[in-house]
Amino acid sequence: MTSGELQSSALMRPASGITKAPGGRIRRGWPFAALLLIFVAGLFVPAVVHSPFYQGLANDGLILGMLALATGFLMSQCNLVMFGVVMFYGGPAYLFAIANTNFDWSTGADVFAACFGTLVGAAAIGAAFVRAKPLPFAMLTLAVSQMLRQAVVITDFRPVTGGEDGLVIDLRDSFLGLTQADLSTPSKFWVVVWIATALVLVVVWAVVHSRFGRILRGIRDNEERMRFSGIGTYWPRLAAFVLAAGIASLAGILHVLNSAFASPELLDFSLAGNVIASVLIGGSAGLLGPVAGGVAFTLGLDQFAASGHLQLFTGVALVGIIAALPNGVEGFVRAALKRMTGNRTTRPNTDDAHADP
Amino acid sequence: MQLAFVQIANALALASLLTILASGLALIYGLRDVMNFGHGALYMLGAYIGYSAAAITNFWVALLVTPVAMAAIGFALEYLVFRPLHRRSPIDLALLTFGLSLIIGQAIVYIYGGTARTIDAPAALSGSIRLLGAPYPLYRLFLIVFGIGACLLLAACLRWTRSGMYIRAVSLHPDVARMMGVNTDRLSLLVVCLSTATAGAAGVLAGPYLSIDPGMGQAILISCLIIVVVGGVGSIGGAVAASVLYGFIQVVGSVVFPAAAVLAPYVLLIVVLMWRPQGLGGGRI
Repeated sequence: MTSGELQSSALMRPASGITKAPGGRIRRGWPFAALLLIFVAGLFVPAVVHSPFYQGLANDGLILGMLALATGFLMSQCNLVMFGVVMFYGGPAYLFAIANTNFDWSTGADVFAACFGTLVGAAAIGAAFVRAKPLPFAMLTLAVSQMLRQAVVITDFRPVTGGEDGLVIDLRDSFLGLTQADLSTPSKFWVVVWIATALVLVVVWAVVHSRFGRILRGIRDNEERMRFSGIGTYWPRLAAFVLAAGIASLAGILHVLNSAFASPELLDFSLAGNVIASVLIGGSAGLLGPVAGGVAFTLGLDQFAASGHLQLFTGVALVGIIAALPNGVEGFVRAALKRMTGNRTTRPNTDDAHADP
Repeated sequence: MQLAFVQIANALALASLLTILASGLALIYGLRDVMNFGHGALYMLGAYIGYSAAAITNFWVALLVTPVAMAAIGFALEYLVFRPLHRRSPIDLALLTFGLSLIIGQAIVYIYGGTARTIDAPAALSGSIRLLGAPYPLYRLFLIVFGIGACLLLAACLRWTRSGMYIRAVSLHPDVARMMGVNTDRLSLLVVCLSTATAGAAGVLAGPYLSIDPGMGQAILISCLIIVVVGGVGSIGGAVAASVLYGFIQVVGSVVFPAAAVLAPYVLLIVVLMWRPQGLGGGRI
């Protein structure tokens, strides 16, 4: 296969069949400047949104969005759905909390230990699981996350994991110049989350647009063909899995820094449902989609929280989107726009998502 | 020795519930390629329907009425969900059924509240008998017998009836079976109804044995998924073997290493998949 062929197949989305329009690319500088502007403007959101409640909600939304981005990345690039994504969310949160309560390390060392531990765990789990087909893969990750969920509440592990009560964290020193009180203040924490989200987006964007990303999509579309072309199919998938786990672990550590609390609920199956619903709302193919989905889902969840029907919201969102919108909300909006603007050719999706957020 | 015997009996009692549920799951998967994440919720729904029916009448009527009601729900599920969406990817359908399970769970909480309930065992089965000198609840014995009976009945139906032959054929080679004139839609209706009805029956049977609460479905669903994967996805014989293995692993785990016995099934899953990725059963049915 020539590299040109690989490129075009890689940029094509399998479901909608959007192809790269010849000469359809506008100048690069424009979207970049716009994105930078949005990034800088985003830092000042707390100056506009005064209510700490909504600031906190926005923080939670971005954290859920990061989880959705990790899941969506693996979904769109490898066609693998992590039903157990929460293991890389609650897992590092617990590792951080355990390091914090048992060792006399600095907060930075705790964060490093949690990240490192998660990545090693992800590499070990991924080494065994990425060979599996999509459905067994989904269930295997689900099983591991449930295993962790059960493990943290085992009575004998209580001195380490805190059992059903979870672990309360007490930071000994400041982290990135922020004290524990700062990290718990939504307006100050927002800056951390916003920068982290932007960084993760840049990393994922770079990966998706690199040769590595093309290889991933090549494997997704036809694994055998890639092997015939002399490209290994195992290591790229493992690397993608570890990357997704790394993003999720960042979300988990941010959550635990903000809430100063690691609880068994962080490993709940229903949380994975929220993540997947966010991915479906935003669409997995773009980069900003999952993040926006996470924020939208968190806002929607808040509306339902008052009546105590959180899971009902997740359920209705999942059923509604899958049943009514075969290509996700994003695909629906895209199709509607297409219908409105006539039959114009759309540019490749990943560029699109970045060009007009 | 006595203790070991009681433990084995307990493992079998749990295994018989799991067998009924896991074979329902395996049946739908074989025919429709749908991993039904709502199976646990259907089991819970069956338990609550059984609870209401038993409150009005008695256990035996509930055990009869619930599967019928659940078959009607299976009918709706087939016509409203599986048939219109049969072209979707298995992951989409798995997520959809997961969403449905959340909705059913909330509906149950809304109607019955979150408190745990139990169905009273029928008077004839409420006592205990002496097994090798140790007293053992009669109801659990009934559960074991019922579970084994249900498995044998299912195996016999699959083996010797025409519909059973069609089910095996479709599970093995869906396209070829369709080419040979097997009406897969009608067959699927039968299988989905059978699967939901047995899930409902399992719910009623669980009533006097475990407690009924809105979380019971999710708790047992994970076990069933492990069993179906360990047994070989879509394989009913494998599912039966895996449920018995599952029951024993839990019992052995609780004797050898009581602290972490709850983790034993996951270890089983991972070991089996490392050693034999296609599961114990290998084939599809």
